[in-house]
Amino acid sequence: MNSNSRLRIALTKGRLQDRSLELFERLGLDCGPVRAPGRRLVHPLPNYPLDAVLAKAPDVITYVEHGVCDLGIVGKDTILEKGGAFYEVLDLGFGACRFALAVQEGSDFYGSYRTRRIASKYPEFTRAYFEAKGMDVDVIKIEGSVELAPILGLADGIVDIVETGATLKANGLVPIETAARVSARLIVNTASMKLYKEQITDFIEKCQAGLEAAV
Amino acid sequence: MKLTVNTPEGTRDRLFAECQERRQVQQRLTRLFRQRGFLEVSTPETEYYDLFAHSGCAIPQERMLKVWDSSGKICVMRPDSTTPIARIAATKLKTLTLPQRLYYEQTVYRDNPAHNGGSREIAQCGVELIGAVGRKADLELLAGAIDALRSCGASVFHVELGHVDFFRELTARLELEETESLRQLVEGKNFAALHSFLEPYRENPACAVLERLSRLFGGPEVLDEAEKLAGRTLSIDYLRQLYDELSAAGYGAYVRFDLGMVHQIDYYTGVVFRGYVEGAGDAVLSGGRYDNLVGVFGREAQAIGFSVDVDAMARTLPQTQLPKLRTVVHYEPGYLSQALEAVDGAPAGTCELSPCRTLASSLNLAQEKGAQNVLVLDKDGERTVAV
Repeated sequence: MNSNSRLRIALTKGRLQDRSLELFERLGLDCGPVRAPGRRLVHPLPNYPLDAVLAKAPDVITYVEHGVCDLGIVGKDTILEKGGAFYEVLDLGFGACRFALAVQEGSDFYGSYRTRRIASKYPEFTRAYFEAKGMDVDVIKIEGSVELAPILGLADGIVDIVETGATLKANGLVPIETAARVSARLIVNTASMKLYKEQITDFIEKCQAGLEAAV
Repeated sequence: MKLTVNTPEGTRDRLFAECQERRQVQQRLTRLFRQRGFLEVSTPETEYYDLFAHSGCAIPQERMLKVWDSSGKICVMRPDSTTPIARIAATKLKTLTLPQRLYYEQTVYRDNPAHNGGSREIAQCGVELIGAVGRKADLELLAGAIDALRSCGASVFHVELGHVDFFRELTARLELEETESLRQLVEGKNFAALHSFLEPYRENPACAVLERLSRLFGGPEVLDEAEKLAGRTLSIDYLRQLYDELSAAGYGAYVRFDLGMVHQIDYYTGVVFRGYVEGAGDAVLSGGRYDNLVGVFGREAQAIGFSVDVDAMARTLPQTQLPKLRTVVHYEPGYLSQALEAVDGAPAGTCELSPCRTLASSLNLAQEKGAQNVLVLDKDGERTVAV
């Protein structure tokens, strides 16, 4: 919160940003400044004491964790991968998809005693997932199209975000397990929650009401 | 070989004002602690890993910085001060009458994930009240925590109280097989997930309050709400008693509650608390009652303590101004004592000796350093030359 008692929220750029703004507008918040940003990086909403900034998903967590933003909207996938200390107060429902383990069609992933190799953009999540199963795997971090790794023979499977499964199918992969369901979450800095309880709970309740109204 | 001139990640050099700001917080805190009868102890920078691993210390293994001693035993850079102090209390203080009031001013070392901007050297100042149990002991430390933040110069701050038994009492009513997932949801104030987690237990009256638990933070009204939902419980009664007595002593305005504060629930045994100061992104003070730790080292003694993160506290305060250099002293051989007298007589940091041989170089130096004048001491006596 800055000196003129406005909350600051970090929104994940891209698809979640659009859905976040739709939610805000449903709550009656004027999001004009965020929709027409110009060169500005901090966007004050004219009819609610909230300033919005746009950031890449992991940066949303960083800003909230360090308290330079009081609130943030970020996907559960990023939260699972990056972790951190903050309050995860609401499941906003949108941006819903799942983390899935996918393998090449016809291959028997669990049918071998050899240590399996998994490619993923989410190595920390993948490691934790197989650790919970008590299974040793080699995790390889891939930055781009993970589907390529099993095709090239680098990995026995992948752990990735799956929405429709169309990309997997086109590459001869099938999801064999859902590792986690993910969707956008509203997160809050721990100290802000305590110091600005009224403003923040007001905002959370607004969002919750907006979500219920949309159902 | 090219020398590395950077400090390792998570460590830093501190210069001038930064040292002064840190020192100021330390001095204000330790002055208060000494005034209240606490005596300083200091413990080794490195200790056996086992000390922390086998005593219930909540710092995970991967966050401890390991070193090996010459016998090959695994040691760690002290990740926490309370554990070694509990060891002292159970061993070296064995013959002393309890309670003992101890304070410390030392650094703890905790590794962070890469590039998160956090420091792995955390300067702490804290107290432990060993061998005292009950309301008076808790009140002494709670009032101490509020005074500690106030004495540092914090203006907008509060200390938030919780009680581990409240959560325990509620989960006992649900008869869960494991409470850890529930605890995590409450601690993370994960309102929505908490709701779905509790869905199968809807019939149980404890459910309503558990679901509200992560929202039960704020002023004393949360105690009323908790009581309305859960009925009378010992822990809420106790928090109310603490609040009434703190209020009567003039501390009420700084007290808040968070009944969803359920961190380290296996370590703490009673009241837990955290201090929040405007300008800090996380709690700057943290503490609680831990009645089982000292006993691990061979002598039962109930205890309560708290520590302040000195640098986090210092960052919330206005930046200190360094003194400005006004005078450079140029003195001829044989005039050292007069020159030092001049330096010692001026406000600290405003006057310094010139190491130069000639007056011209001293004047030059004074000009470069932004001083206003040069004090000359020689056989002709004492005179001031403007720069």
